[in-house]
Amino acid sequence: MAIVGYAQSPIVRHAAQPLGALAVQTARAAIADAGLTVAQVDGFVGSALLPTAGAHASEDGVSIVTPEWLAAHLGVEPRYAAGFSGMGQLPGSLALGVNALAAGAADYVLVHRALHNPRGSYHGNPMTHAAGAQQWTAPQGFFGPVAMIALAYNEYLQRYAAAPEAMATVVAEARKNGARIPWSYWHGKPLTAEDYLAAPMINDPIRRYDCDIPVDGVAAFVLTSADRARDLPHWPVHIAGIARSQPMTRRLPLHWPLDDIMAVGASLARRLWDVSGVGPDEVQLPQLYDGFSPFVYFWLEASGFCGIGEAHEFVRDGRIDSDVRGSLPILSGGGALGNGRMHGVPQLLECYLQLSGRAGERQREDVDVALACHSSPHLGGAVVLTSEVV
Amino acid sequence: MSDSLRPVPVPDERSAPFWRAAAEHTLTVACCGACGQPTLPPDVVCPHCGSTTPEFSYTPVSGRATVKSWTVMRQSFLPGFESDVPFVLVDVELADAPQVRMIGRLLDGEDPALHLDAQVGIAWEDLTAEVSVPAFRLMR
Repeated sequence: MAIVGYAQSPIVRHAAQPLGALAVQTARAAIADAGLTVAQVDGFVGSALLPTAGAHASEDGVSIVTPEWLAAHLGVEPRYAAGFSGMGQLPGSLALGVNALAAGAADYVLVHRALHNPRGSYHGNPMTHAAGAQQWTAPQGFFGPVAMIALAYNEYLQRYAAAPEAMATVVAEARKNGARIPWSYWHGKPLTAEDYLAAPMINDPIRRYDCDIPVDGVAAFVLTSADRARDLPHWPVHIAGIARSQPMTRRLPLHWPLDDIMAVGASLARRLWDVSGVGPDEVQLPQLYDGFSPFVYFWLEASGFCGIGEAHEFVRDGRIDSDVRGSLPILSGGGALGNGRMHGVPQLLECYLQLSGRAGERQREDVDVALACHSSPHLGGAVVLTSEVV
Repeated sequence: MSDSLRPVPVPDERSAPFWRAAAEHTLTVACCGACGQPTLPPDVVCPHCGSTTPEFSYTPVSGRATVKSWTVMRQSFLPGFESDVPFVLVDVELADAPQVRMIGRLLDGEDPALHLDAQVGIAWEDLTAEVSVPAFRLMR
């Protein structure tokens, strides 16, 4: 199975058009990019999660876009439409699409992700009563994803006596690359390590620029079989393997002990390398998820790019600098920190552009095997992509 | 006592015994009726033995715990914490049930001398006359 075309809207704080209109435009552009007509696309997959802890309404076509809504508004009655409901939305959606193609349920599948930045406080929630799972945490003031990642990151910092300053290298690398990308919210706006460290703490040790910025944006990719891909205009990028993960230990809501992240993350990595037939040493372009910067450490270690507890040292001295020959360019596509809160899109898009030879001025040499990660190693997914069938 | 504007826990079938004990400042954990193993929050299936009729009983624990992580909340997304920020949340492992991790406020000010494996004991925040939520204090 292969990716044969794509489109992405500009990434902005608040789009001039409603999200659904942006999604229809982007879908039409992706289908045309793949050399197809809308009528040929018979499969639609994607995730419609609005990733806010706030009280914002999920309204299809306005604040979210489901695959079914998108197909209907493209005027297509699809043979196959499926929404992915878990975390690691992009790898999860890709898996639905690949499986639909393999089963013969569809011949051409559109995978889309539409992210919305609602007006008002993104995570602010006026709740007066905490029912269900949140009764165990909200009354104490533990709420929202920033506090969630703050506890996991501080557990890492304390256990490995890691310097918080090391993360400045990661964030500056993401912003350096994002600044070079015309569609990025942060285009032309790199960030220095000094600026990173000078920004306020939100929930210690998480600073402002450890968090990606909420945006409006839509991306769409077209999938088909390797056979059908041969007849299409662009070089196909093959999906060699996908693995997903879920926590295996009962915890409080949003409570992510470091041991849970790393144990399940190691299991995901074993399954990923096994199913894709490649190992970490063969990946030239690992695009690690960075919606919160500590995820970069967790993916580096869980995937086997460095030892456990070593990521905070590994990222220093140019080893992740995309401009240094022989480095591990883990954020060459700018990631979420360098583009905006597009979930796993920047990672997958960079893999696609580099492997298909469509990265333009940013085109890298000798990239045959790439990795796109999304969310946390214990509650997410990862995809291995290749320029040839493995 | 003036009632807090913070979110108040809403007890349900599984959690009601926990909150009844909490109102009397007793910390409990849910123990499976089939295997006896502790869990928090209680699940509909015991995560240890797989029993689909776990019939949890709430067993008092000492409330002594070890700090595994913490954060200083300089911003809160919930109502009722405006006058409390910055405040400290600790992520602790219970001495009497090491499988169980809890998160609560540390009531030792905004800049406590915290370190990995610091020892804490249970404390309580009374949100209303009938509702108390677990918190912690450093043991000295």
